[in-house]
Amino acid sequence: MRSNRLLFLLPLLTLLVMAGFFGWSLLSGRDPASIGSVMVGRPAPALAAPALRAGDPALTDSLIRSGKPVLLNFFASWCAPCLSEHPLLTRLAERDGVTVIGIAWKDKPDAARAWLKKLGDPFKYAGFDLEGKIALDWGLSGVPETYLIDAQGVVRLHFRGPLTERDVSDRILPLLKAGS
Amino acid sequence: MLEFLLALLTTATVGVLLIPLLRSSAHSTERIDHDLAIYRDQLSEIEHERAAGTLPDAEASAARIEIERRILVAADHAEKKIASEPSSAVQRFLPPALSLLIPLFALGLYLQVGRPGLPASPFQARIAPVEQDQQPTVAQVLAAVRARLAEKPDDPEALSALGEALTVEADGTVTLPAVDAFRKALALQPGDARALYYLGLHEAQSGDSKAALERWRELEARSPPNAPYLGMLRAEIARVGGAPAPSKEAIEAMAKATPEQRQAAIRGMVEGLDAKLRENPAGRPEDRAAWLRLANARKVLGENDKAAEAFAKADALSPLDTKTLADWAEAHVRQTAPGAAPSLEAVAVLERLEKAEPRNALALFYLGLAADAAGNKGEAVRRWKTLLALLPADAPIRGMLEQKIKDAGG
Repeated sequence: MRSNRLLFLLPLLTLLVMAGFFGWSLLSGRDPASIGSVMVGRPAPALAAPALRAGDPALTDSLIRSGKPVLLNFFASWCAPCLSEHPLLTRLAERDGVTVIGIAWKDKPDAARAWLKKLGDPFKYAGFDLEGKIALDWGLSGVPETYLIDAQGVVRLHFRGPLTERDVSDRILPLLKAGS
Repeated sequence: MLEFLLALLTTATVGVLLIPLLRSSAHSTERIDHDLAIYRDQLSEIEHERAAGTLPDAEASAARIEIERRILVAADHAEKKIASEPSSAVQRFLPPALSLLIPLFALGLYLQVGRPGLPASPFQARIAPVEQDQQPTVAQVLAAVRARLAEKPDDPEALSALGEALTVEADGTVTLPAVDAFRKALALQPGDARALYYLGLHEAQSGDSKAALERWRELEARSPPNAPYLGMLRAEIARVGGAPAPSKEAIEAMAKATPEQRQAAIRGMVEGLDAKLRENPAGRPEDRAAWLRLANARKVLGENDKAAEAFAKADALSPLDTKTLADWAEAHVRQTAPGAAPSLEAVAVLERLEKAEPRNALALFYLGLAADAAGNKGEAVRRWKTLLALLPADAPIRGMLEQKIKDAGG
C-alpha cells in the first residue's frame, strides 16, 4: 500500500524534472536550434559531383585539397534564405578573392542554372547533388550550409543557415587571413 | 444556408442523444426480466424432456439445480445494480440537461458574437479581386523596361528601373545584373537617387554596412526634404545602422499621453536634435537634412526665431530650394508685428524667394511693406498691384491691400 502511494508522486517528480530542464534551457543561454557539427576539425569528406554548368569538368576531391582554403556552399534555387546570403558569397568571391564552390542540393540543374543567371554566379566551381547523396557525407541538414575548408583540407567552420555579415567579417575573413 | 443545415444536424444529434438518456432509467432493470424468461424456458424444457424420458431423472435434477443457481446469481446482480443506479434527480437529469444546454449555449454565443447575415466568402472570390487591383507584375515591368532599353540603351531612368525590377524579382536581393544596371545608370546620371539607394542596399547585403550607411547618409543629405523616398531611406539607415527604433512601450506611452505631455515629449526630442547638431563640427553636409528637419519641427511648434536660425544653418551648407525658401521666409515674417516692416534678415530671404519665384504672394506682400517703410512708394505699389491681380476675387485681404495701395498713393 505504501509503495502504491509513492507512485502518485511520480507525475509530480516528472513535472519537476521537466520544469528544471526548461528553466535551465532558458537561463543557460543554450540555443536549442543549434545542432552543432561533427565536421569541424576533421578532414573534409571526399568531394565528387557532376558539374552544374555545361562544359565544366566535374567537381573532384582535389578542389578542396589544393593547398588553398575554399568555401563550400550548398544552395538551392527553391531556398529563400539562400537569396539573402548570395550577395555575401559574391562579395567573398569578388572582393576577397575566396574560392567559392557551390553545390545545388536537391535542385534541378536547370532551375539552379536559371537561378544563378538571375542573381549572378559567385562560384568558381559549381556542381549539383540532385539526390542529396553527397550531402549525406557532409552531414548536411538542409540548405543553405557553408563549410570553410583550410589549406590542409580540414573543415574549419560549418555554418548551418544563411551567412550573415558578422559571420563573414568576424569568423570567415579572420581565419582566411590567418591561414594565408 | 449553412447555419440552418448545422442547426438541423445539431437538433437531430441532440434528439438521438436525448431519447436513450430519457428512457434509460425505465429500461435499466429489463435485463433481469429477459434472463428470467430464458431460465424459465430452460426449466420447462428440462421438465418436458424428463417427462418424455429422454433425460434421466438424476441429470434433470442436476440441470435444474444449475439453472436455479444461475437465477439466484442473476437476481443478486440485479439487486446490486439497482442499489448502485443513480438515484438522485441531479444524476438522473444531468446528462439530458447537459445535452440540451450545451447546444443552446453555443447558439446563444453564436447569436452574440456571430454574424449570421455575413455573405459567404469563397476562396476563389477572395483571390480574384486582389490580382486585378494589383499594379503591373514584376514580369510586366521587366518586359516594359527591357523594351525601352532596346530602343535607348543609355537611358539612365530605364536602367535604374531595370535594376529595381530585377531586385524586386529576386525578393529584395540586389542581384549582380541589377548592380550592373545601377552602376551604368549612375555613370550616365550621377546622383540618381534610386541607383544610389539600391547600390547602398547591395553593399549592406554583401556585408559592407559601413559603405552602405555612408552612401545612404550622403544621399539623405543631398535629397530635397520632401523627397518621397526619404522615409524608406531613413528606415533602412536605422535598420542597417542598428539605431534603436522606438520601443513598443515608448510608442504606447506616447499614444496614452495627454496633449501637454505629448507636446513636452516632442519638444524634448527637438531640443535633443538641436543639441546634437550643435555638438557636431560645423559645416558637415550630411547634417543639412537634419537641420531642415529641426527647422520644420520648430516652425510647427511656433518657435519661429529658432526655425529661421535652423533654416539658415541648412542654407549655409547648401542653398535651399524655392519651397524651403518660402518656409524660411514665413518663419521670418511671422516674427514681425502686424503691419510692421519685415526685418533685414527677412528681407534678404524674401528677396531670394522673389528671385526664385517672382509671383510668390508672401514675397510680394512683405517686400512691398519693406519698400513702403523705406519710402520707396512706387516699388511698394507695383508689388501690391501684382499681388492684387493674383488674388482670387473673394480673398479676404483684398480690402486691406487696396487700402494700402491707396495710402501709398497708387
